Amino acid sequence: MNWSTTTIAIYGLTALGAVAVYLLLPRAGRSARVAGTLLGLAALAGLVVLSLRSFAIPGSEDFYFYLLAVLALTSAAGVITQRKAVYSALYFVLTVVAVAGLVVLLEAEFLAAALIIIYGGAILVTYLFVIMLAQQEGQPLYDRRVRGGWWACVAGFLLTATVASALSDFLLLAPVVAPPMTVEVANTDRLGLVVMTRYMVVLQAAGILLLLALVGAVAIVRKRYPHLETVERPLPAIGQAGREAAPF
Amino acid sequence: MVDWLVIQFHTQLGFSIVLLLVVIPAVLTGVGYSTYFERKVSAWLQDRHGPNRAGPLGLLQPVADGVKFLLKEDFMPAGADRPLYILAPMLSMGIAMLGLAVIPWGGSYQPAGLAEPLQVQVAGLDIGLLYLLAVGALGVYGVVLAGWSSNNKYAFYGGLRAAAQMVSYEIPLGLSILVIVLASGQLRLENIVEQQTALWWGFLPQWNIFLHPVSFIIMFTCVLAETNRAPFDLAECEQELVGGFHTEYNAMKWAMFFLGEYTHMIVGSAFMVCLFFGGWHVPGLAAEQTTLWGVLLQLAVMGAKISIFIFVFMWIRWTLPRFRFDQLMRLCWKGLLPVSLALALVVVVELFFNVPRSYWSLIGEVGVVAVALVAVSLFRIPVTGRQWYLPDLDNRTPLRGGSV
Repeated sequence: MNWSTTTIAIYGLTALGAVAVYLLLPRAGRSARVAGTLLGLAALAGLVVLSLRSFAIPGSEDFYFYLLAVLALTSAAGVITQRKAVYSALYFVLTVVAVAGLVVLLEAEFLAAALIIIYGGAILVTYLFVIMLAQQEGQPLYDRRVRGGWWACVAGFLLTATVASALSDFLLLAPVVAPPMTVEVANTDRLGLVVMTRYMVVLQAAGILLLLALVGAVAIVRKRYPHLETVERPLPAIGQAGREAAPF
Repeated sequence: MVDWLVIQFHTQLGFSIVLLLVVIPAVLTGVGYSTYFERKVSAWLQDRHGPNRAGPLGLLQPVADGVKFLLKEDFMPAGADRPLYILAPMLSMGIAMLGLAVIPWGGSYQPAGLAEPLQVQVAGLDIGLLYLLAVGALGVYGVVLAGWSSNNKYAFYGGLRAAAQMVSYEIPLGLSILVIVLASGQLRLENIVEQQTALWWGFLPQWNIFLHPVSFIIMFTCVLAETNRAPFDLAECEQELVGGFHTEYNAMKWAMFFLGEYTHMIVGSAFMVCLFFGGWHVPGLAAEQTTLWGVLLQLAVMGAKISIFIFVFMWIRWTLPRFRFDQLMRLCWKGLLPVSLALALVVVVELFFNVPRSYWSLIGEVGVVAVALVAVSLFRIPVTGRQWYLPDLDNRTPLRGGSV
């Protein structure tokens, strides 16, 4: 295997980031938050310098790319290093917004809007709802500390480092050039065309999967009351449904 | 210097910046006077005078209120989550104002000697409509976080209710907008408006309200719910929750929630005006006016249409009683959601037969409502009210030593 300096740098910086995240994880005792923050900032700065030196892609959006990428990474670290679950959910929202910004830089506005509407607007509000419902009175001990943090950091380091170095080899071999816009079709139209022609089967399969999940969720939450199901009640007259209790 | 400024004004960026500097103060003033208007409308509906002490007709009341908000003592409840407690009103107001960026306020302006007309819009996005939806979807965080961070049970319940309500009403809102998107084939708000400027039989403007009245009613209901307005203001209902999510807020932080709510109302009204009432289109005039006076007229017409909507919001608030929470949920999931799904399906069928935006749209919409009414009355589907068909469920858990 050919260990180029770039690969070594990527491995080193990712390891630094992993150590930083490990130090930041909430523990029973005191977490080394200052040291973790400093190490994490150093790792981020190193990654930014490395990508500026090695894969500088000319373009005016470079600054925004680095801004949004750093925001996404720091808020993703915030998701797992916060003690309060509500803060974790909020950092998750920030991650989603930053990633949506990155997607906008790739000129995929529809995807960005969908990301914010679905993740930021619906799923994370539901998370927040559940977290708030479950944790009204402080937090139990087992929610305030991390378990298996060491292994999680090692696994995360390995995954990130291998994927990043593989991508960097690919980028070094052939600098990515954005394909020129040949057809004057709006972004959303193109997405629709691709989804409804090339990925039609996948789309249908995803739809069926979601429907099954919905039915499953209803089946799980539905309570059965066998001793009550035999109750016979007279049907109310047409137009009188729900009016059996007089308001006054 | 003046020449340079004039040249910059005649580029889209410069024009957008000037427009932004005009729109934000105008909307904030409008928000201030909406609070005055709200109190006047409630007074008229209740046979009172309303504010009439500060200035002629009480017109300086918003100024007096603003001064009061700024000068009040700003305290924080003990045990509040400090960062989120401060962040919540900022989110509430900031996110509501983001929506102003994509509203087409007055068509396009063509100064003499310029090749391209200037859009009277801060940012003409390809996905303007989705942007508005996304911004609206993020709007709930202010209320939810206010409820959570105040360390108050009533505020907390207000936040929970707001979260459940907004997530639910987002779905029929999106579906009723989808009807217009499919029928017009556009995601740019300005194109949707332009499509509505033609006339039928030489006098009737081709506004979407005439084609999709039911979608409009659903969207209007959902916008009421999204802006937390009565009869959907369960997050802040005084009788049950003191003040709901803003129980623990005072001074300017409290005011920011209401600036946010009224801004949200203005953006929501502008959104509905653009989708269903032809945006800046002046009913008497067939084509778009691009002269200075024409654009000013269109801006005035847009403002008038938005004002009418805001008046209707207030009229509803002071007329209808509030929903109960289970009625609110049932109305959304069993009433609005199936109907709006059916409407989207009908539009797809119209597209298949290549007759969108024709009298078939109206027939389809009315047909869906007729079928829904027949189904509700024949099968006795409870859309609101009690679930009478369920047996009496006794979910109470007996306490130790007691009995249910």
